Amino acid sequence: MRKLPRSLRFYVAASTLYAALVFFAVQFIYTIELAHSGIVIALRDSGDVLSSIQIVSFVVWLGISLIAAAIMHRLATALAGAKSAEAEAKSSEEHKDQELGSIFGLSAALAGPLDLEQIGGYFVAAIRGGLPLDVTLALIVYDDVLEAFRTIAADGPRAEAFKERSYSSVALPSIVRVRVIDHRQSLVVADTAAEPQMWARVKEEMPALAPARSFAALPLVSRERLVGALLLLGERPGDVTPDTAQLPVIMGQYVAGSIHSALSVKEAEARAEREALVNRIAQRARASLDPTEILRGTVDELAKVLGVSRALVCTGASEEDLAVSYEWDATGVAPVGVGAKHLPIARLAARLGRTVIVTDIRKDRRFADAHRPEDQVTQDVIAAAATPIRVGGQLAGALSFSQIDRTREWTADEVRLIESVGQELRVAIAAAEAYERQRAAVAELERLNRAKSDFVSIVSHEFRTPLTGIQGFSEMMRSEDLTLEEMREYAGDINKDAHRLNRMINEMLDLDKMESGRMQLHREPVDLNNVVSEAVNRVRPNAPQHPVSVRLDPLVGEMSGDRDKLTQVIANLLNNAVKYSPNGGEIVVSTRLEGNTSHVVVRDHGMGIPKEALEAIFERYGRVESPATRHIQGTGLGLPIVRQIVQLHGGTVWAESTVGAGSVFHVILPRSAAARSDVTEAAS
Amino acid sequence: MSKVVFCEDDPMIRKLVQAAMRSTTHDVHIAEDGKRGLDLIERVRPDVVFSDVAMPVMDGFELADAMRAMPDIAHIPIVFMTASVQREQIEECFRHGAAGHLAKPFTMADLRARVAQYSKS
Repeated sequence: MRKLPRSLRFYVAASTLYAALVFFAVQFIYTIELAHSGIVIALRDSGDVLSSIQIVSFVVWLGISLIAAAIMHRLATALAGAKSAEAEAKSSEEHKDQELGSIFGLSAALAGPLDLEQIGGYFVAAIRGGLPLDVTLALIVYDDVLEAFRTIAADGPRAEAFKERSYSSVALPSIVRVRVIDHRQSLVVADTAAEPQMWARVKEEMPALAPARSFAALPLVSRERLVGALLLLGERPGDVTPDTAQLPVIMGQYVAGSIHSALSVKEAEARAEREALVNRIAQRARASLDPTEILRGTVDELAKVLGVSRALVCTGASEEDLAVSYEWDATGVAPVGVGAKHLPIARLAARLGRTVIVTDIRKDRRFADAHRPEDQVTQDVIAAAATPIRVGGQLAGALSFSQIDRTREWTADEVRLIESVGQELRVAIAAAEAYERQRAAVAELERLNRAKSDFVSIVSHEFRTPLTGIQGFSEMMRSEDLTLEEMREYAGDINKDAHRLNRMINEMLDLDKMESGRMQLHREPVDLNNVVSEAVNRVRPNAPQHPVSVRLDPLVGEMSGDRDKLTQVIANLLNNAVKYSPNGGEIVVSTRLEGNTSHVVVRDHGMGIPKEALEAIFERYGRVESPATRHIQGTGLGLPIVRQIVQLHGGTVWAESTVGAGSVFHVILPRSAAARSDVTEAAS
Repeated sequence: MSKVVFCEDDPMIRKLVQAAMRSTTHDVHIAEDGKRGLDLIERVRPDVVFSDVAMPVMDGFELADAMRAMPDIAHIPIVFMTASVQREQIEECFRHGAAGHLAKPFTMADLRARVAQYSKS
C-alpha cells in the first residue's frame, strides 16, 4: 500500500468508513429491536454473542466495500485514461491548426501586392518561432536585374553580415551552388565540425558563413524556377537539423510563389524603366538642337540609373585619340578631367569594337599593365563597362561607366542598356560633329571677315601716313613762295612718300600672289651670308638705338634662291626686331650650316610674343593687338610675307619667345632648290 | 603767337610740319616720340600739344595720361593727329582728354588754323 494510487486510497478509506457506519447502525438496531422484543439480555452475557455477530458482519461489509473500491478505482482510472487520450488528441490537433494557421496567415499576408522586402519580412517572422532563438536566417533571392542573389530579409544575431548584400552565384559556396541552386535540394549540416573538409571550403568561399556550427541552405522554387534560398546558421551544433528545417521548407513553398510574382513585377518594371529611358534619350536626341545638351542629359541620367560612380563620354577617331569630352561624377568622386587620355577600358572597347565589361580590374589580366597604381585617378576604378560609339562605320568615341571602391557584376540588361544608349548617342555625336563643323566654318568665316575689315582699317591707316606727306608737300609747293631748292626738296619728299605708298601696295599684292601660288621666284645662286649682310646694312640706319651683331658661318655658301626675296625675309625680320624692341637692346643675326640646310637666326631683346600668338603672327593680319603694340605701325604683312617666301624656297620659319625678354626667329632654308612642300596648306 | 609742341614719329610728317609752320610766327618744337615730347612739354610749357597716337616708346594716349598726372602741365590742351577715322578710335582720343582731333592727311591750312585757335591774343 506504500504506493497506492490516490484514487484507490480514497476508495479504501470510503469503503472502510462505510463498513464501520453500517456495523454501528446494525448493532444499534439490533440492540433496540432485542430490547423491544422483550428478550432480556444480560448485557454482560449477551455481549459475546452480539460481538461475534458484529465482527462477522463488519468483516463481510469491509470486504464488500474494498471490492467496490477496487472496482471503482479501475473504473475511474479507465475513465481518466480515456479522457486524457481524448484531450491529447485534441491538443495535437490544435498544434497542427496553429501551424496551418501560420501558413494560411502567411499566405493571406502574401496575397496582396508586396515588394520583396515585405515578403521576406513576413516569411522570416513566420518561421522564426519554430527555430531556436539564436539561429540566424537570411533569405536571398535571385534578382534578374542584378543577375545576382540579393538578401531581402535577415534576422538573428548574425543578420548584419547578410543585410543589403548581393552575391553573384560564384560568390556562394560551391556546394550550395551545386546542391541548392543547381539541383534544388536542401543542404542541412547539423554539425559543421563533423564535416571539417567540406566546411573549411565553405568558410573560404563565403566567410559570412564561417561562424555557423550548424547550417542549412534551403532552395525556394516556384513554378520550376529557383527564386532564391533560405540560409540558416545555428550557433550550436544541432540548432539546425533536418527536423527544424521542416517548417521553413514547407513555408518556403508558399513564399516562393509570392517572391516569384514580386520578381516578375520588378523585372517588368525595370524593363519598362529602361525602355522609357532609351526612348527619352532617343526623343531628346531627335528633338534637341544642342548636341552637347543631349549628351550631357543622357549620360547623367544613365549614370544615375546604373548607380555608377563615374560616367565618361570619350571622343576620338581612333583608339589613341580617345579623350574625355564629357564627364559625370557622383558626389565625392574625383574627376578624371576633360581631355584625359588614360582610358584603358574605353580604348580596349574601341579596339575590339564591342562592349568591354570589367568586374574587378585588379584581377583582370587584360588590364594588368593599364591599372597603374601611380595614376591617382584611374587607380580607384574597380569595375567598369565601356562600349564603343561608331558613326558611319568609323569610330567616333566611347561611353564608359565605372564603379569606384567595389566590384560590380554587370548584368546582361545593364550591358544592353549601355549599348542601346551608345547607339542613340551615335546620332547625337554625329549631329554634334556636324554642328561643330558648321559652327567652326561660320566662326572661321566670321574671323576672316573681321580680319578683312581690320585689314582695311589698318591699310587705310597706313596709307594715310605717306599720303599726308604727299598732300602736304604738294600743297606747300602750290601755295607758298618757295625757293627752287625748296621746291626740289619737297618734290623729292613727295617722291619718297609715293614710293613708300607703292611699296605698301606691292607688299599686299605680293602676299596675295604668293598666297594664291602665282608668285614666281627668280632663282639664282645666292650667297646667304651676303644676303644677311645686305639686309643688315639696309636696316641699320633706321635703328640707331639697336646694336646689330652679325655672326656669319663661313661654311654657309651659296644656295639656290631669289636674292631680292631672301633679302626681304631677313630685312623684315630685322625690322620687326627693331620695331618690337622699343627700348633698344642688342639684335643678333647669325647663320649656321646644318647638313643640307642653312639656319638663320634673328634674336632681339624686345617685348616678346605671347605663346598663344606665336603661330598667329605668321598669318595675314595676325598682328598681336595689345596696349604694348598699339603704337607700332605696320600693315601686319611683314611676317606673312616672310613665311610665304621661305615656303616658296622649301624652307620653314618659326618663332620662339619669352614675353618681356625677347623673341628668336628661326629660318631654315634648303641649299638646293626644293619643291614647295606645303603649297596647299598655305593656300587654304 | 603761341608755343606749340608736336610729337610725331614719322620723319616725313615731322619735316612737313616744320616746313608748314616756318611761315608762321609760332614757336614750334618737335619731338619724335611721346617720351621726348613729354620732356619737351615740361621744359617749354607750350600753349598746345599736337601729337600722333601710334609712336614708339610712349604713344600719344600715354603721353596725354602722363600730362594729366603732372599738375604743371595737366592743363595744356592736346590735339591728336591720327590716321584713324573710325568713330571708336576718335572717341578713344577724347577719352584720353583730347581737346581736338586732326585727321591725317590734313591740309597745311587746316593745321595752321588749328594751331592759331590756341594762340594767345
